[in-house]
Amino acid sequence: MTPHVQLSEQDDATLMLRVREDDRDAFAVLVKRHQKMLLNFFARSSVQYDYEDLVQQTFLRLYRYRDRYVATAKFTTFLFLLARQVWIDELRRRKQQERLVAGLSAEPKPEYVDPVASDATASGGMDLKRALDALPEGLRQVIELGVYQDLPYAEVAKILGIPVGTVKSRMFNALAKMRTFLEEK
Amino acid sequence: MNFESHMNELAFTDAAAFRKLAGCLRAMPEREPSADLADRVLAAVDAERNRKPRRFRAPAPWWGIAAAAAVAVAAVALYTFAPSRGSRVAAAAVPSDGLAWLAANQESDGTWSPAKHGGAEIYRPALTALSALALDRAGKGGAAAQVDRACAALAAMQGASGAFGGTDRACLYNHAITTFALATLYPKHPALRPTLERALAFVAARQTAQGGWDYESGSEGNAAVTAWQVRALACAEAQGFDAAKIPLRKGLHWLRSVARDDGSIAYHRDSSARSDGLTALAAYALITAGKAFPGLPELGRHVAGSLRSASDAPLKADCYRDYAKVLAFESAGSSAQAEVVRQRMRTQQKDARPDQWEAVGGRLYTTAFTALAAR
Repeated sequence: MTPHVQLSEQDDATLMLRVREDDRDAFAVLVKRHQKMLLNFFARSSVQYDYEDLVQQTFLRLYRYRDRYVATAKFTTFLFLLARQVWIDELRRRKQQERLVAGLSAEPKPEYVDPVASDATASGGMDLKRALDALPEGLRQVIELGVYQDLPYAEVAKILGIPVGTVKSRMFNALAKMRTFLEEK
Repeated sequence: MNFESHMNELAFTDAAAFRKLAGCLRAMPEREPSADLADRVLAAVDAERNRKPRRFRAPAPWWGIAAAAAVAVAAVALYTFAPSRGSRVAAAAVPSDGLAWLAANQESDGTWSPAKHGGAEIYRPALTALSALALDRAGKGGAAAQVDRACAALAAMQGASGAFGGTDRACLYNHAITTFALATLYPKHPALRPTLERALAFVAARQTAQGGWDYESGSEGNAAVTAWQVRALACAEAQGFDAAKIPLRKGLHWLRSVARDDGSIAYHRDSSARSDGLTALAAYALITAGKAFPGLPELGRHVAGSLRSASDAPLKADCYRDYAKVLAFESAGSSAQAEVVRQRMRTQQKDARPDQWEAVGGRLYTTAFTALAAR
């Protein structure tokens, strides 16, 4: 068995500890393990971005802040905290850009025919996507973390910096709004 | 508490409706990351490390992965959308005369050092090969001696297996690009014959039963690295190396098999994403390397026809994609389209615009490709 295979079987926290010691292979395993989750985290946002760039930025931050990770914290919580910050920074950057270049539409992704979007359309899932897109950001993120990622509410609360009670109320409101949206269709 | 326990607290009708809604949300199809996303991430981290050298250990595997992005770029660009920031090495001003810059930056051992110019060291063979090709193509005064030294340096890099260096992914890209360069330069450097013969033996040894090449075990091939090997083999065959014939035929056959009906090329047989860079590279390989085989040039032109027109292309700098598009458009007879891409490359170089692959290929990469794409 190669060392790489052994690494791939280790849990996130162990790998992060190795990354803190500058273990390159351990970092590679983490990237490969979580890139899809992050990509979809960003892709389910309501605005068109270069999602893979955001994934890249998140992992870069993970590398930069590797010393801040403590094994007592769940790794995905740490990762989503970073992802959320990347997302917020991107929103800020966009807003700044929009102010500078009023009316400039977002550049479409250049080299990607989105199979997900077309699949969603074909299966009638587009309404669902629209319903999700129609949610305010604060509600959408609760859906993202609580439903898609199925994180415990305590983790969602930590990532979003809100009390658990607020997570619950936002979850209820988000689902209720989506249901209304879909019923009106 | 999690979603499920939260639902248990709600009224039955609400909980049932919300559970159903959550089920639908979870059932929505997900995106797959680009095949090279992990490589690009790792390359970006690598670039960061180069700026602040620290303690990393084991260079080989890491660089291998990171590197893939570099040249893999091509194919890979596959699904590649130039990152807008973060990963890139800040663009240094590129001299207007890229060839003079290349000539001035050759190392005393005949190679070019990627690390000195923002690239990944593991690609020294490929970047030396590209730089030498660019200088040779320009044929500027004094270049011959520099190309001589580069050829000698590349031959010296060859290991017992016939490979030119690098690990994992970098190995195959280094190998294909270096073999291609040496085969191109061979008429002026006949002493390279034994080097090329060993290089071709390595290419044949790494070919899969299906005819492709890949760095992942169990894969029948990926179109990016296969297109490069095909290009190297075709060049060698044209120079009279018979050992290239059978691997070339098999490689072309495999490349043909991943062409989709719409003309785009799949990175792996089942990949869904598409990339102009990869498609262009494959189009060029099919048109030029496949000219002796019925139907392949036509398929290549069909593939080239699926490329977005040069004027529609995004303005994000991607020298690899643009280089491949110039080759594809020219070989398909669309010189005007090729010229538009060339113009864009010149502008990007002049403006020192950060390139998609600068963090891994460095300034050597952008400069060499821009020079090689020049008319």
